[in-house]
Amino acid sequence: MKLRLLLFLTIFALKIYSQEKFTISGYIKDGKNGESLIGATIFKQGTNFGSAANEYGFFSLTLPKGEHVIGISLIGYKTYTFSVNLEKNITKNYELAEEGKQLDEVVVTGEAEDKNITSTEMGTTKLDIKEINKIPAMFGEVDIVRAIQMLPGVTTVGEGASGFNVRGGNVDQNLILLDEAPVYNSSHLFGFFSVFNPDAVKDVKLIKGGIPSQYGGRVSSILDIRMKEGNSKKFEVNGGLGTVFSRLSIEGPIIKDKMSFIIAGRRSYIDALVKPFVKSTNPIKTSEFYFYDLTAKINYRINDKNTIFASGYFGRDVFGATAFRFNWGNATGTLRWNHIFSSKLFMNVSALYSNYKYFLGFKLPQLNQKFEWTSNVINYSVKPDFIYYLNSKNTIRFGAQALLYDFLPYDAVGQFSEGASVKFKAEKRYGVEYSAYIGNEHKVLPRLTFDYGLRVSLYNYLGKGTSYYYRDTVANEPKPLDSTHKFQNGKVIKHYINPEPRFSMNYVINSHSSIKASYNRMAQYLQLISNTAASTPLDVYTIASNNLKPLVADQGSIGYFRNFKENAYETSVEVYYKYLQNQLDYVDNADLFINDQVEGQLVQGLGRAYGAEFYVKKNKGKIKGWISYTLSKTERLVDGISNDNWFFSRYDRTHCLNTCVNYDLTKRWNISTNFVFLSGTPASFPNSKIQIQNYNIPYNTDNIRNNYRITAYHRLDLGATYTFKKNETRRYKQSLVFSVYNAYNRRNAFSIYFQTKDGEPNQTQAVRFSVIGSIVPAVTYNFNF
Amino acid sequence: MKNIIKLILVITSFSVLTSCTDVIQIKLDEGSKIYVVDAFVNNLRQDQVIKVTTNDNYFSNKEAPPVSNASVVLKDLTANTQYVFNYTSNGNYVYSLSNTDTIARVNHSYELNVTIDGYVYTSFNIQRRTAVIDSIISLPQEGGFGPPTTDTIFNCLLMARDKVDNVGDYYWLKTFRNDTLMGAGGDINVTIDGVGGLVTSAPNDTIEFTPPATFLGFENFRKNSKCRVEIHSISRDNYFFFIQALAQINNGGLFATTPENVKTNIVTPDGAKTKAIGRFNMASVATRSTIVH
Repeated sequence: MKLRLLLFLTIFALKIYSQEKFTISGYIKDGKNGESLIGATIFKQGTNFGSAANEYGFFSLTLPKGEHVIGISLIGYKTYTFSVNLEKNITKNYELAEEGKQLDEVVVTGEAEDKNITSTEMGTTKLDIKEINKIPAMFGEVDIVRAIQMLPGVTTVGEGASGFNVRGGNVDQNLILLDEAPVYNSSHLFGFFSVFNPDAVKDVKLIKGGIPSQYGGRVSSILDIRMKEGNSKKFEVNGGLGTVFSRLSIEGPIIKDKMSFIIAGRRSYIDALVKPFVKSTNPIKTSEFYFYDLTAKINYRINDKNTIFASGYFGRDVFGATAFRFNWGNATGTLRWNHIFSSKLFMNVSALYSNYKYFLGFKLPQLNQKFEWTSNVINYSVKPDFIYYLNSKNTIRFGAQALLYDFLPYDAVGQFSEGASVKFKAEKRYGVEYSAYIGNEHKVLPRLTFDYGLRVSLYNYLGKGTSYYYRDTVANEPKPLDSTHKFQNGKVIKHYINPEPRFSMNYVINSHSSIKASYNRMAQYLQLISNTAASTPLDVYTIASNNLKPLVADQGSIGYFRNFKENAYETSVEVYYKYLQNQLDYVDNADLFINDQVEGQLVQGLGRAYGAEFYVKKNKGKIKGWISYTLSKTERLVDGISNDNWFFSRYDRTHCLNTCVNYDLTKRWNISTNFVFLSGTPASFPNSKIQIQNYNIPYNTDNIRNNYRITAYHRLDLGATYTFKKNETRRYKQSLVFSVYNAYNRRNAFSIYFQTKDGEPNQTQAVRFSVIGSIVPAVTYNFNF
Repeated sequence: MKNIIKLILVITSFSVLTSCTDVIQIKLDEGSKIYVVDAFVNNLRQDQVIKVTTNDNYFSNKEAPPVSNASVVLKDLTANTQYVFNYTSNGNYVYSLSNTDTIARVNHSYELNVTIDGYVYTSFNIQRRTAVIDSIISLPQEGGFGPPTTDTIFNCLLMARDKVDNVGDYYWLKTFRNDTLMGAGGDINVTIDGVGGLVTSAPNDTIEFTPPATFLGFENFRKNSKCRVEIHSISRDNYFFFIQALAQINNGGLFATTPENVKTNIVTPDGAKTKAIGRFNMASVATRSTIVH
């Protein structure tokens, strides 16, 4: 039987190759500004022969010799149709025109609209920046990470917490890529805003499951953010004056259609606004409290086969007063070279740099005393990626990456009035991660597509440095140091190798429904050390070592996808199960700051997460938006914690409902609304108090972690955008965005804690801490010319 | 160090935008009974008190329920003497310094025995040396912490020295404003060698106490108020107890840590039906005071 099948497949394959075929390839761009269009689909009309433009807008479609009618489409753009007589390979770039903004929108039927049905992608959401722009935002400011928190399977421990949790994963398990460079802290002002300036962002893609083999390094999700290349046709200025910050971006051609740039910046001024209204003795008067960031990119199309890009980000948050100051921020840089070897072989080589750094200092200038402390994590990486469009049935991606981790856990200095000083500087720690992958998107049958691949990652924990060896102890106690060993520069202290198989499949039932399934294993060689509810800007990352094993996660998921009313409605149901090994936890009273033996205080445990995600999205008409609902459970098991039983993780939320709707009321007015309902997060509450030295200390005699839940979180936001009438003679466009966050003024609990009442030493009380304690209205003025 | 970082994070996260706190009513489970031993003995010329109580409902507004039937004995293992503490009231067991200068001597080893219902709960501690206080400086505040006021506010700063010899010294700094202990709400100032962090592996010991350990109380002094500071030597485990307790008694804000039970250095004997927890420390104390001007 098997032999016959093989024979059949061989003949089938030969038959394909016996036919003469040619390839049409090139870039797909936006006709207005020359931006490459990621994910635009090129297809032979009336068939399912098609190909999608890659991350750089490049496509390659191989078809039999002869006459074909070809369509190129992408949501939001008019489908471009042309006929071609394929007698040789054709290389050509295409431009798509934006759909008109008429209210009686022309319904364009193209294959791109049912991409959710036909592609093997699952657990994946692509958010268009135009779509994000319509979500009512806190303080009227569009924010990518907060938009992502509205998607199924994505939660957060609360507003103001940095980062996000995907399918039961910790915040450090998301690989956040800005033009492929990893971003270590995605937050400004703790977690109220993300570091991504929406004016400079083109494309946002979140992958929660079925993660393709070209991605690796984090176990829970990939947030792939691609920056705009900059308008290559004409100069454009975008900006906004908001309640919290202002932003400005400039983009334009340097050489028309060949070279363009974008530069975008933001600066908050909440401190500047507040200061005039406070008394001179108020600490705010002398405090600093602001952030800024700068994003820039330049690209140069050398010729049809070669394009180079350079992009970077730099941002910082500063918070301080006379006596203390702290600041933190990221810097990233990306250099890329796109090269087309042939119409079927595309290459991109990226060189990446990322640096996350923070600073904390105390000073008393009067006494010439100070204490200062910094820590940073630097990444250097080289990453060649290839796409080989073998034939109309197989698209092979392969590549490799080398990534160097360079960590400075702490560098602290205390200075005394006599001029002497004391230094505590940790040794730098180094690790290098090599990985190679190959994956194939294989259209096995007209209705059945497999995407299978393998990534292999090899990690070396490297000298120069000291490795620490600990003795075993009882659970939940710091491990005592046994010995240390010094290693020379480049010497491998410990290595790990992890094969990471990836598989996803799609069976198309009919033109409007499909079933998908996926499995992936991911390995992660660094983790965030944080035992706080929301991760703080001062948390340090740590890399896998002789003491810490890499985090490994296996995830399986199955989904059913169905579109209704000619793709006007997209719906999906996905269920997932995830199993994590070597997740970090902490012994009680772990000292995670300035501690070179911190590894003795870390423990590694198991995690499991499972859930069902429901998603309905309406893409067309006056009313657009989505509803997502997730039912899930996230637990952990760690030796010595919670009496060695599974306990809920801090970010477990049983029910998660997000609705996000916007309505084009008139030509000028667009209104939008969000409603969020989330089950309360688990919390550990005491069952008694003890008194020592007159301190009332909460105590739980059962020693169970996360034994309670705080109250449910719900919130309604409203937004309205007014677009001013455009002056036909000028190209100046302006709009006003009004928003009301937390419209019915709910005080959602971020946490509940226990304390002694002021002035009454025996009276203890429970206190609810709400990050947003009121309605937050805001107005933002946006302009573009 | 950790406590100061924690405090700053708490202040920061509470000051963010529109955050707020409300006292709320919630129902908590009732814990099983445990004994609590609070034994901080020092070499100050005053009555020495060891407290034995039990845990209580978290929202109880009374003093901790006393245990009156215990026998409390402190043994100086180095001098081979022992001191019997006598019960007075409210769970207090007192030793009056009438016929001796002190019962707490530096570098001596001590054993504490608390006997309840025939079970002997024990703990050991070695009394450590303390630091040397040079002076307390008061400076007018420029910004910083605390509620706004029209009066000039002073910060008191400690000038103190730590012995330089690569031995980690653990200190608990108690600040009194007009003879009232400050920081009852939850600011506990503990430090290793006058700075922060784990310095067990650091090559340098400190000479002089540095900020933030020298900020006395993070609270404000007015002109003519009295500021007194005591530096108690504590053992390493008691240092970590204070760090842990601090994290538990004011665990709010964005960066609250996962609540955990404070550790004990009181050993419950095998077979005892009721567990005892608590802390035992023998301290050498340096003290100094100043009038703010």
